[in-house]
Parts: sequence; structure tokens; C-alpha cells
Amino acid sequence: MSTLEILGSLLKEGLLVTVSLTFFSAILALVLGFGSGLARMSKSKIIWFIAGTYVELFRGTSLLVQLFFIYFVLPMFGLRMSAMVAAVLAIGLNFGAYTSEVVRSAVQAIDVGQREASVALNMTRQQMMRRIIIPQAFIRMIPNLGNQLIELFKSTSLVSLITLTDLTYQANVLNGSTLETTKIYTLLLLIYFVLAWPLTKGMNVLERKLTEGRF
Amino acid sequence: MTEPIVRYNQVSKYFGDLQVLNKIDFDIMPGEKVALIGPSGSGKTTFARLLMTLESLSSGTIQVDGQYLWHEEKDGKLVKASSKHLREVRQNIGMVFQHFHLFPHMTVLENVMEAQVTVKKTPEKEAEKISKDMLDKVGLLEKADVYPAQLSGGQKQRVAIARALVMKPKVMIFDEPTSALDPELVGEVLEIIKEIADEGEMAMLLITHEMDFALEVADRIAFFDGGKIVEQGSPEQMINNPETPRLNEFLSRFNATNSL
Repeated sequence: MSTLEILGSLLKEGLLVTVSLTFFSAILALVLGFGSGLARMSKSKIIWFIAGTYVELFRGTSLLVQLFFIYFVLPMFGLRMSAMVAAVLAIGLNFGAYTSEVVRSAVQAIDVGQREASVALNMTRQQMMRRIIIPQAFIRMIPNLGNQLIELFKSTSLVSLITLTDLTYQANVLNGSTLETTKIYTLLLLIYFVLAWPLTKGMNVLERKLTEGRF
Repeated sequence: MTEPIVRYNQVSKYFGDLQVLNKIDFDIMPGEKVALIGPSGSGKTTFARLLMTLESLSSGTIQVDGQYLWHEEKDGKLVKASSKHLREVRQNIGMVFQHFHLFPHMTVLENVMEAQVTVKKTPEKEAEKISKDMLDKVGLLEKADVYPAQLSGGQKQRVAIARALVMKPKVMIFDEPTSALDPELVGEVLEIIKEIADEGEMAMLLITHEMDFALEVADRIAFFDGGKIVEQGSPEQMINNPETPRLNEFLSRFNATNSL
């Protein structure tokens, strides 16, 4: 099998699965991360506790085990879902927990003077968070969020273990039938690298755009 | 007889076991300019921060325009104010900080417009006009579209003053507004504050180490020491004929450093 043929058959199906998996689980992680990150600063003890438990639970166990648990164990309790949904859920929940910490530390790093100025302008707590604190915290988060996004992207290769036909799965299948191991996995490495590149660059550009002349 | 715009009644403040304010009674009349002086740690900043609700009361009450700030009346009893009540009373108070605290992610114009739009619900067009007029007044209209990071300290403080003024508070707190500035930039800020003071209708609480300025602007000076107002009176009386040895000592130390 020629290199080009291998590349073609890797990309044909695997690319779409890997990219859409990255896309959907990143969105879920971002939503969960912001939600739980802000909830961990809540005055309500219940909200604080729920968010804290979620974060510790998902940071403290391995993504692979979470993936297996959601896909193989939950169906035994009647929660049956497709491999794609299970994968998005596992990756989203896992990275959401890390993002939560990124959000929380960025918000807490905002100078207390910004809060005091908001109080002096008679803003509600909600107005202060939405208009003053979070926009500034978001800019500080970008480098960390960028790292997380890349990590998330690379960790999608684990889903090949729950029969999802992503890039890595296709490579394994191809390897089984052709034994062109060197070619296949070298190409696989390159594909991941080429896909991660624009993510890194994109985050750098975003950061530069948002900080230009302001900080 | 006119009612005071601000009334402190037996106000005490503790940080842990440390008492920073000790049963203070103090009235500010509408439009009155009061300068607070005293050594650092004497309680004058905490005194003002209680009024801005940046610190909570340990005991006593503060009234603004006849309404309790930290409390509200329910069935004839004083209970802790709801956040709604607190905000309603707080809209009478504004503050300018030593370190400006401008919002770095917004342009100068956006800084001044922000609270008018989000808090006061002023239509955007109208808020923009009010803000531009105010920026013109503090001499910074041509900086409307730049970010705070590109301004000098004096310019930042003038924007902060404009941002506080557009909210039309009845009492404005200036917490050492020139202490963080390079000496050559102090003048432009003091000039603006003087201009505002001369307009008259807004009461001002001015925490300052600029004794000449206090003398020029204030109707009354209050001298803080050890969590109490040790002496107060007209600027002339305070500076020329201090009654208490503590004020005398404070002023002479001040003059000594100033004449160096």
C-alpha cells in the first residue's frame, strides 16, 4: 500500500469523527467549566458543594476509566447511548473539571479594585461579573484554555477503545490488515500535529487581538 | 433646618480584635466639603469605605438622605438591609479611588458610559452624550477611544472622576486621589476636584494628605487619630489654632516634611 493510499483511507472516515468529537466535547467542557468554575465561587453552600464534588470526582479519576464507565457500565443501569455520545460526555465532563479550575483561578486573579469600582458604581453582583470580571478573566484564561483544547484534541484518540471510528481507530484497523506499521503510525502522528497547529496559532492570535493596547 | 445628607451614629468597626473605628458620630450636610486628615491607620479610609459599603459595619448606623444604609426598618425594628435596599441607598454615593480602578478592557468612553447603561438604564445614545460632555469637562474628550493603559496617571484619575460624576451621586468620596500620582501630575487632578467643589451642590468627603488643598477646598476638616475624630472645625481654625496636642504634633510633623 502506498503512503498516499494509507493517508487517504486514514482521513476518509477518521478525520470527521476526530474533528467533530473535538468540537462537541470542547463546547461541553467550556460550558461545564464556566458553570462549575463560577459555581465554586457561589455563596450558596449547596451549589458550591455540587460543583466541588464534580470537579474533584472527574479530576481524580482517569479519562479512560470514565469513558469505559459511561459506555460499558451505565447501560447496565438502563442508560444506553451511542459511542459518540458517550465519548463527548466523558471527554466533556473530564475536561470541564479542569477548565473549572482555569476559570476559577482567572476570576480570582482579577484585582479587588475592579470589584470595588463596580460596587462604587452601584452594580449588582451579576452585572459586575458579566461586564467587568469575566471579560477580563477570559483574556487571562486564553493561554490555559488553548493548552486544554490541544490536550482535549489529543485525548480523543482514546475513543478508539470504545469502537468509535476516529483517526486512531482507522490506523489500528489499517495496521491489522496491511502491517505497514511504520508508515501508518508516522502518518498518524503527522496528522495529529498538523491538526493541532492551527489550534495553537488560533489561540495566540485571539489572545493578541484581545489584549492589543489594553494591558 | 436642613437635614444632613450623611449621618454616622455610634459607628464602630473591628477587623478581628483590632478596633479601627470607635463609636463615631458624624454629620455631613448637603453640599458640604469635608476633608479627613490624620496619620495612616487612624481609620479615615475605613470611615469612608463604610459609606461606600466596601466594608461592613461592626456596630452603629449610617443614614444617607434620611435612609439607613446598612439597615432597613421592619415592624419598627432595624434589621440588616437587603441587597436591593442597599443598592437603592448606595446610588447616592460615589467614589474616586487612589489607584483609579478603571476597567482596562474598555475604552475611556466605555468606562464612563458603562454604569449609566447597565445600572441606570440610560439609553446608549444619551449616555454617550452625557459621557462625552463629562470627558470634555475633565479635558479628555480627545482620549475617548483609547484604552486606560495608554493614559498617564493624572489622565486616568480624571477619567475615574468623570466615571463617578456621571452617576450624579449626592456625596462623592475621594480616597487620596493624588497619592499614587507623580508629583507633576498632582496639579491637574486637584484642579478638576476644585472645579467640581466650586459647583457646589454635591457633598464631598475628601481623604487627603495635601494640606494646602484641604485648606482651599474644605468647609470643614476632621482630624482622625486612633479610630476617633479627635478634633474638627473650619480649615483656618484647624491649621492655625489646633486645640489638641495630637493635631498640633501631626501638623508640625507635616510642615517639617513639607519644608524639607
